[in-house]
Amino acid sequence: MAAPQCPACAAAVTETDVYCEACGHDLSQPAPAVPTAPAPVASRWVSSSGGPATCPGCGGKEFGAEGYCDNCGQRRASGMDHNELQLGGLAAVTDKGHRHHRNEDAVGLGLLESTVVGVICDGVSSSNRPDAASNSAVDAAMPALVTALDKRSPAGDAIGAAARAGQAAAALAAGPNPGSNPPASTFVCAVVEPDAVTVGWVGDSRAYWLPDADGEPKCLTVDDSVSARYAARGVAIPAEIPRSQAGALVRWLGADATDTVPHLHTFTPSGPGRVLVCSDGLFRYRPGAAELAEAAPRIAPLATAQALVQLALDAGGQDNITVAVLPYPPQRGDEHD
Amino acid sequence: MTDQPAFQAEVFQNEYLPADSTVVDAVVTVTASGSGPSGAAPTVAQVIMIDCSGSMANPSTRMSEAKRATAAAIDALPDGVDFAVVSGRAYADMAYPEQRQLVTASARTRAAAKKAVAQLTASGGTAMGRWLELARTLFAGSAAELKHAILLTDGRNQHETPEELAAVLSACEGQFLCDSRGVGADWSGAELRMIASALLGTADGLPDPEDLVDDFRSMTEAAMGKSYAQVSLRLWTPAGSTIRFVKQAFPHVEDLTARRHEVSARIGEYPLGAWGAESRDYHLCVEVPAGAVGEEILAARVSLVLGDQTLSQGLVRAVWTDDTALSTRINPRVAHYTGQAELAEAIQEGLAARDAGDVDTATSKLGRAVQLAEESGHTDTAKLLARVVDVVDARTGTVRLKQKVAGVDAELANVRSVKTIRVKNT
Repeated sequence: MAAPQCPACAAAVTETDVYCEACGHDLSQPAPAVPTAPAPVASRWVSSSGGPATCPGCGGKEFGAEGYCDNCGQRRASGMDHNELQLGGLAAVTDKGHRHHRNEDAVGLGLLESTVVGVICDGVSSSNRPDAASNSAVDAAMPALVTALDKRSPAGDAIGAAARAGQAAAALAAGPNPGSNPPASTFVCAVVEPDAVTVGWVGDSRAYWLPDADGEPKCLTVDDSVSARYAARGVAIPAEIPRSQAGALVRWLGADATDTVPHLHTFTPSGPGRVLVCSDGLFRYRPGAAELAEAAPRIAPLATAQALVQLALDAGGQDNITVAVLPYPPQRGDEHD
Repeated sequence: MTDQPAFQAEVFQNEYLPADSTVVDAVVTVTASGSGPSGAAPTVAQVIMIDCSGSMANPSTRMSEAKRATAAAIDALPDGVDFAVVSGRAYADMAYPEQRQLVTASARTRAAAKKAVAQLTASGGTAMGRWLELARTLFAGSAAELKHAILLTDGRNQHETPEELAAVLSACEGQFLCDSRGVGADWSGAELRMIASALLGTADGLPDPEDLVDDFRSMTEAAMGKSYAQVSLRLWTPAGSTIRFVKQAFPHVEDLTARRHEVSARIGEYPLGAWGAESRDYHLCVEVPAGAVGEEILAARVSLVLGDQTLSQGLVRAVWTDDTALSTRINPRVAHYTGQAELAEAIQEGLAARDAGDVDTATSKLGRAVQLAEESGHTDTAKLLARVVDVVDARTGTVRLKQKVAGVDAELANVRSVKTIRVKNT
C-alpha cells in the first residue's frame, strides 16, 4: 500500500494526522475542487496568543464556549501572563508586569526565506477586554503579513495588509455587541529585509534600531500620542492640556477606531545591528534610544529580550512588558522553537 | 415543518463595578416571536371552576354573565382538548361531565357542557381550596402537556381556613396552571393573587359581570396558543456567589427566588409555566466575590430551557474598574424594575395597613406608591390609587386616605398592584 498522502496537495502525511502539515487541509475531507496550493514551506510564524489551561482564579480546567471558567466565572485571558517565543534567530518575551491584572500585550514573530518580521500589539487597558484585542490582532496580522511578503509585496504594502487584518480582528474581539468601550490595541510591525528595515505603527508601541557598531541607535517610530504630536511639530504642549492627558493615545485599532492606516518608516542600516520592537512597559524606563541600546546586552536574542523584561520588572513593572529582538541583516538561524 | 417561535434573550445591565463592589443587577428580556409551532403545539386540558355560591344570585346578572362567560370559554375549546366544568360552593361538584373526569371537546360535548352550565343555580358558600383540589384530581388522570384552569369567584374564601387553601395550593403547584378572576365587589385581591402566583397564572378583578365573556374567551385562547407547556429559567452562577433574588419583572412582579430546583452545584431552575408568542422581563441580583480592578467574570448565565433544550441564553457580566464614570451609571431598566417592585410592595403594604386601621403607615406607603407610579408613568396604577387616596401632590407622594372607599376599588388596587409597565424607550 502506498504511503498516505494529503488528497489536496499530495504531501506525505501520517495515519494519525488530522490536518495536513503542508497545506492545512482537513484530512477527513476529499480534495477541494480547486487544489489548495501548499504554503511556502520556508515561511513560518508564531505568536504569544492562547490562554492558560488552568483558571488563575480557582484552578478550574473547564471553560464554557464564551471563555468563562465553568466554576468561578473568571474570564479566560487571551494570552499567558508570561510567554517566551523563539523562531530561528528571532526571540520575544512578554510579561504582565507587577501592577496589571493580566497580560494585555501580544507578540508575533515570522521567518521568511530572506526576511524576518515581528509584530507587537498592546491592548489599551482602559478598553473592554484589551487582551482579546491585542491577541486577535496579532493572530490576524501575522498570516496577512507573511502571505503578502511571500507574494513579493513591498514591505510597506505588507504592513498595511497586516494592519488591516489586525484592525478587523480587534474590532470583532468582543463579539457583535462590544459595548460603548470596545476592545482596543496598539500595533507595531517591523519587516527586516536584506537591504532595508521597514516599520509601521498605529499607537504608541515602538521599534528601535540598535546598531552593533556603525551609527547611532535611534527610535524608528513616533508615538501616536498627544505629547508626541506636539513634539513632532516642535511646539510645546499647550498649558490647557492636563499632564495626565499628554500621553493619551490618539490612534489605535478597534471597533471605535477611525484612522488605522499605519505610519511607515523605511531605512537602510549602514551595518549589522538589531531591530528591537517593544511595548511601553519597557521603554517607559529607557525612553531614549541611546539609553535603551546601553541597557540591551549583546547576547543571544532570547537572552537579550529576557534581560530587558527583567530590567522593566526591576524598575517597577508598572505595565505589561513585551520585547522582540530581530537581527539585521536577517538571519534565519537554527529553526528550533 | 414546524414553525417554532424564535426565542431571543437580551441582557440589560451596567457590568462595571467599582473596586470592592460585589452586587450585580441585570434585567433579562426574553421574547418569543413568530406564529408558534404548527405541528408541535402542546396538548391541552382545561378545567373551569365557576363560583355557584349564594351571592352569585345577587344581582341575578352575575350568575347569568358567569354562565355566558363559561359558555364562551367552552366554545373557544378546539376539538380534541380535554375539559371539565366544576361548580364551586363550600365544596366542589362536577357541573360537566357528571363523572369526575375530563371529556374530549367536540360539537356534541361542548353543547352538552353549555346545557349543563345553563342549569347551574347559586346557593351555599365558598371554599376555593376544595374547587382546586377537584381540579387537581381531574388533571391527574390526564396526559395533556399543558393543564390550564380558570377559577371564578365573587367572594372571599369564607368556608375554609387560609392554611387549608395554602396546603391545597402547595399540592397543586406544578400540576396545573390557573388564572384567577373575581367578579362583583366582594372578592379578595390578596387571595386571587395567591392562587395565580402559586399556579403561574394571572389574577384580576372584573367589577362588571359583562366583562366576563370576553375575558374567559381570551384566557382560553391564550392557553390554546401556547407553544411550550413547561419552560424554566435556568441560572448558572459562579462559585462563592449568592443569589439575592430572581424576579419576574414584566408583565407582572413575581418573586421566583424560593422556587429554585437545584440542577447542580452551580445551576438551578425556576419553573415559568407555559410560553406563547410573548415577552417577559426578569430581574436578577447576584452577589459575587469581590474582584480586582481589570478583572472580568461571568456573574450569571441565564437560559430559558425546555427540559434539556436551551431556547435562548443571556450572559450577565461583572467588570471591575476604577473609572467612576463607568461604575456609577445605573442601568435604566434595572432602576425602573427596582421601582416597579417597590411600587407593588408599597401598594400591598399600604392597603394592609389601611385594613388594619394603621392610618400613618397606610398614608406613607400609599403616598410612596403614588409617587412611584407618577415617576414611572404607570397611569393605570395611578388611577387605581386615586380611588383609594386623595392625591395632594403626586410628585412628592403627598396623599390623604379617602374617608369612603368602595371595597372593590381597594381590592382592584391590590390584585393589580403586581402589574408592571416597561421602561419608556429613551
